[in-house]
Amino acid sequence: MNWGAITDRAATAMFWAELVRGHAVSLGHLFKEPATINYPFEKGPLSPRFRGEHALRRYPSGEERCIACKLCEAICPAQAITIEAEERADGSRRTTRYDIDMTKCIYCGFCQEACPVDAIVEGPNFEFSTETHEELLYNKEKLLNNGDKWESEIASNIYADHLYR
Amino acid sequence: MDKFIGLDKLARFFAIIKQNGGITGSLFKLFRQDDLKVGTLVGEDKYGNKYYENKMYFYGRSRWVEYADHYFLDYDGSQVPAEWFGWLHYKTDYLPHQDPGRPKYNWMSDHKENMSGTSRQYVPYSTTPPKIHSWVPPKAK
Repeated sequence: MNWGAITDRAATAMFWAELVRGHAVSLGHLFKEPATINYPFEKGPLSPRFRGEHALRRYPSGEERCIACKLCEAICPAQAITIEAEERADGSRRTTRYDIDMTKCIYCGFCQEACPVDAIVEGPNFEFSTETHEELLYNKEKLLNNGDKWESEIASNIYADHLYR
Repeated sequence: MDKFIGLDKLARFFAIIKQNGGITGSLFKLFRQDDLKVGTLVGEDKYGNKYYENKMYFYGRSRWVEYADHYFLDYDGSQVPAEWFGWLHYKTDYLPHQDPGRPKYNWMSDHKENMSGTSRQYVPYSTTPPKIHSWVPPKAK
């Protein structure tokens, strides 16, 4: 090691060059745009194919779509869906019970793929966390309400993907 | 030259203060939203939430919502109604009134936020009559 290198190393140590450089990096980042998003005011990007909270849809007339064919119940790999069917007063076949245990569900989307009438869909909503387990045991009423609430977005998602279906 | 010394940042700072309602307004918004931004108001939903956009911010921060004033600190992500959800999540560039695939039926219901933890939370119940009934002892003669 020659004298030049030795004085350089001594000067670096005496003037705390590494410390100053490190703090300069921190100071620079204070004025930079943050790399995080400020949820819930800003939200991350989602796909129209996003599989979130389930919903039962209706026809434009307001008639519920589900005909109780039980294909979703059959295909559900987590066996989260329970269906009971009965004839309605006007003679059409409808479900009397359509329960989904959202804590069993693995959000694979097989139910909406199996559905011949587009009745059960996985909507775009992911903000349905609850404080108790029982609130996630959805029944038919809750699923239909979800459909009424999210129809605008669900229909828009299906429209966005109509070329690929 | 402005850009080199950083004067444009100073100008943006004053623009942000001005848009957010002066010094007191900006301090209040900073307290409520932890962030101050400048952007164009692109719309307001019927619940009073305001939606802004400014492409200067990067993708993911370029669209945002300011929740209605009456929520104060009880704002929640689930208060964004379905009509605006897709736009806010960068799923579509259409605003709700421009989107051709967005029907309006009279059976569609109002948006409701996630009520978990309140007295109005969803409580599951059976939608069918019970199949097993308890035994009722025959009356003694």
